[in-house]
Amino acid sequence: MPKRGAHPLQGEVLQGTLDLLVLQTLVLGPAHGHTIAYAIEHRSDDVLQVEHGSLYPALHRLEDRKWIASFWGTSENNRKARYYRLTPAGRKQLAVQTSRWEQLVNAINRVLRPQSE
Amino acid sequence: MSLLRFFRRRQWDEERARELAAYLEIETAENVSRGMSAEEARTAAHCKLGNPTLLREEIYRMNSLGFIETLWQDIRYGARMLRKAPGFTAVAVLTLALGIGANTAIFSMVDWLMFQQLPVQDPKALTYLGFVRGGPLHTDVQFSFPEYQQITAECGAQFDGMAAMAFGGTSGGQSGPDGLTFQGKTHPVQTYFVTGNFFSVLGLKPAMGRFFAPQEGDSAGADPITVLSWEYWLSRFQGDPDIIGKSVAINGHVVTIVGVGPKGFFGPTPLLHIQAYLPLGMLVIDAGTRRDFLGRSDARSLHIFARLKHGTTADQIRPALDVVSQHLLARYPRPDEKLNGMRAVPLRPPGMVSSESGNPLARTAAIFIILGVLVLMLACVNVANLLLVRATARRAEMAVRAALGAARGRLIRQLLTESLMLAFLGCVAGIATGLVATRALGAIHLPTILPVSFDFRFNWLVFAGALSATLLSSLLAGIAPALQAARPNLNAVLHDAGRSLTSRRQRLRSLMVTAQVAGSLSLLIVAGLFTRSLQSARQADVGFDPSHVSNLTMDPHQVGYTDAKGQAFYRELLERARALPGVESASLAAWIPMGDTEFGGPIDVNGIEPIKGQPHPSAHYNAVSPGYFHTMGIPIEQGRDLLESDSTSSPHVALINRAMAEKYWPGQDALGRQFSVPDEHNRPIQIVGVVRNFRMVDPYSPIEPAYFVPLTQHYFATVTLHIRSAGSDSGVIRQVLTLVDSVEPTMPVYTSSMTEALSGINGYFLFRLGAILTGILGGLGLVLAIVGVYGVMSYSVSQRTHEIGIRMALGAQRGQILTLVGRQGLWLVTAGLAIGVLVAFAVGQLIRDFLVGIGPADAPTYLVVSALLAAVAAAACMVPARSALRVDPILALRNE
Repeated sequence: MPKRGAHPLQGEVLQGTLDLLVLQTLVLGPAHGHTIAYAIEHRSDDVLQVEHGSLYPALHRLEDRKWIASFWGTSENNRKARYYRLTPAGRKQLAVQTSRWEQLVNAINRVLRPQSE
Repeated sequence: MSLLRFFRRRQWDEERARELAAYLEIETAENVSRGMSAEEARTAAHCKLGNPTLLREEIYRMNSLGFIETLWQDIRYGARMLRKAPGFTAVAVLTLALGIGANTAIFSMVDWLMFQQLPVQDPKALTYLGFVRGGPLHTDVQFSFPEYQQITAECGAQFDGMAAMAFGGTSGGQSGPDGLTFQGKTHPVQTYFVTGNFFSVLGLKPAMGRFFAPQEGDSAGADPITVLSWEYWLSRFQGDPDIIGKSVAINGHVVTIVGVGPKGFFGPTPLLHIQAYLPLGMLVIDAGTRRDFLGRSDARSLHIFARLKHGTTADQIRPALDVVSQHLLARYPRPDEKLNGMRAVPLRPPGMVSSESGNPLARTAAIFIILGVLVLMLACVNVANLLLVRATARRAEMAVRAALGAARGRLIRQLLTESLMLAFLGCVAGIATGLVATRALGAIHLPTILPVSFDFRFNWLVFAGALSATLLSSLLAGIAPALQAARPNLNAVLHDAGRSLTSRRQRLRSLMVTAQVAGSLSLLIVAGLFTRSLQSARQADVGFDPSHVSNLTMDPHQVGYTDAKGQAFYRELLERARALPGVESASLAAWIPMGDTEFGGPIDVNGIEPIKGQPHPSAHYNAVSPGYFHTMGIPIEQGRDLLESDSTSSPHVALINRAMAEKYWPGQDALGRQFSVPDEHNRPIQIVGVVRNFRMVDPYSPIEPAYFVPLTQHYFATVTLHIRSAGSDSGVIRQVLTLVDSVEPTMPVYTSSMTEALSGINGYFLFRLGAILTGILGGLGLVLAIVGVYGVMSYSVSQRTHEIGIRMALGAQRGQILTLVGRQGLWLVTAGLAIGVLVAFAVGQLIRDFLVGIGPADAPTYLVVSALLAAVAAAACMVPARSALRVDPILALRNE
């Protein structure tokens, strides 16, 4: 089956990155799509401009892998919304992906600034 | 992705729609609270989210099993494409059907002849005993009852049972089967006389009644009982459920039916269907079997089955058998042969045909397998070719689909799906063809009095083999064009609509055309060789005149006549037949030349001592009435014919053929000389005449010595009445049948014209069968080659329309265009012919022994067939080439 991943956040952010961001956002507690999108935007100081729609296929994929689970709930302003929460598997996955991400970042940094520190 | 979600994806889609709607609501509400107008707020929310339909589509796709989904699309699309090109589809499916069907039929036959096991318990452990004389096929497998008893006593314990049996009819000195009388009607029946343990050694259970008890058969004529084969019980007794206990007469002797054998068991012999089993001791009801045969060591008419013990092999048992055979040869010498000792020879299906080298069946099978595989290859190449041509023709379509966003994988899969659909259609048609062909092969009628059964069954395993071969090849054939079609140079294709030829594909197609012509030519040459061989066998002078001779074979012994009564019967019949209107001459003989039987044996010639290690002098013989040579149109070159006065009381006389005179009395006058037959009488036989050589055994071997004795001095119960008449054969036969009926109403008579009789298994049957079968295969090859050459050439012309248009616009002459287009095709054909000749030459070596009157490199066959194929292929080239002439330059140029 062809892998048609989510659209990149904007430009060339890797697909796995969006997953990582979503998982990290959900560490704080369950949230619905709208909240997650804004949380990512704000916490990155608006550097990562998300086309909010691209979040949904990612949510779907994560749920499919049983890293997150969903339920219908009521939003802060009393609207029906679909909430997502982290599963134990998702928590494990977050740890794995975070450390992999850090390794990657360190590696890239070493390449870009070999003389620094 | 769970399967469950695949089936619930519509529900999921609705859920997602609700989720996205919820986002929009929340965002819109927030926007409004930030101070936007309602309209602005909704637009901004939509901008933030993106296109919801696209998102839903994306999630929907994630939920679908893409393969199944697109497969269904591919199939529907493929079906549409196949329907849109009915000509292409029909040719491809037909090609596959012929290839698969022909092979299924051939392999079914081969499987039956070579590999099918007897339907008995553990057939692989069954062996028969025989003295080996050099090769494994040269065995002496005839034993007498005392020999059987000694073998059982000495080494019976080393086997899991040992049984002896003898054919009824032929082995008793008759030339035809026995007769079974039931409700006043007598019909020939193939009998088998067996020891009481026969069925238990085979491990069979009766379908009805019982088999024989162990001691039944041990004394002569003591057990008047019989067991019928299932199929005979069905055909002769209409499956009468109360058959057990009923009485019938076999050769006039009343016997009681005690059992019916299992369904599908036709006896342990190849081809011959055993219809009734009797205890061995009952062999005395056969003409020519002496009452004391069970005690005579020289009455060697038994075969011996021995079942190997579980876990032992025929080789392990050899030392024991060597000891037994030494004892046996010491006590019951076999004088004339140099024997190597006794062996247990595996019983090959479907009977005593050993599948070791030298088996003619194995070689026949090999030939037909080769030819069948050739046809299958041609079929595959043809389909591959058609697919290639079609793929090129569809380049524009593929390019458009790719340009519209179809993924490469999808395009490839689409094309492969179409190939597979073709293969599937071909497979269905192939089953039908195979069934029909198998049935046709099984229904081949052998003109013989013996009950011969071809038990070909449609072989699904074989069918699966042929099918997978075609599937594989059509997939292989489909892959190359699919890969190429799916990697179109979009720009080039869309711009000039594929004007330029891709040379690599062209080369592949050319190779295929060459292969097709080559394969087809070798098939046709083999077919031609068989046809020529049949012709030359037919035209060869048989030495007698078969036209206007009718044969009526009967056996008074089948209705219980004694020899004396039989003699009187024939005397009366002959006299009255000669008096019939239209009958030119009538005579009797014990067997028909090139018929089902032949008699021959050792002779002692005065002055010729048998040399040790060399075969004993021998000759064929026939027992005939006076006038036989006149009826058959064989000139008596020297001496006199047999006379009515040559009787039991007068000296024994014989006529001999020229071959016998030349072999045993070279350069001398054979008239008046004497020879004798080393039997119990050992009477001198005086030669009273020499006849011209004529064919007696088969249409091709060198003519061997033969002598002819009077029936009055050597009576045989089975006799054929030959009648030469001026009128039609059938008219005469009707008259004589009425005559027989008036003398003995229950007498079974087997009738044929001499020409029909010569088409029998020892006559032209095999030649005709070979010619027909190879002819069919050759015809298939020819059709496939024509389709292949024509397809490629016409395609090539259609691709060059533009070029031809330019050439014509620049003033090229019709002849030049014709040459231009035709030359390419003719080159391919010529190359194919050259290769085909080489292949045919190789196959010809294999069939060399089956050819009569011509060699495997018969020049006329090669020339005529090559010329024929060249002409046909040239025509297939020229039709499209001529259509190239009709290209209108204006149209051709403007079109593109």
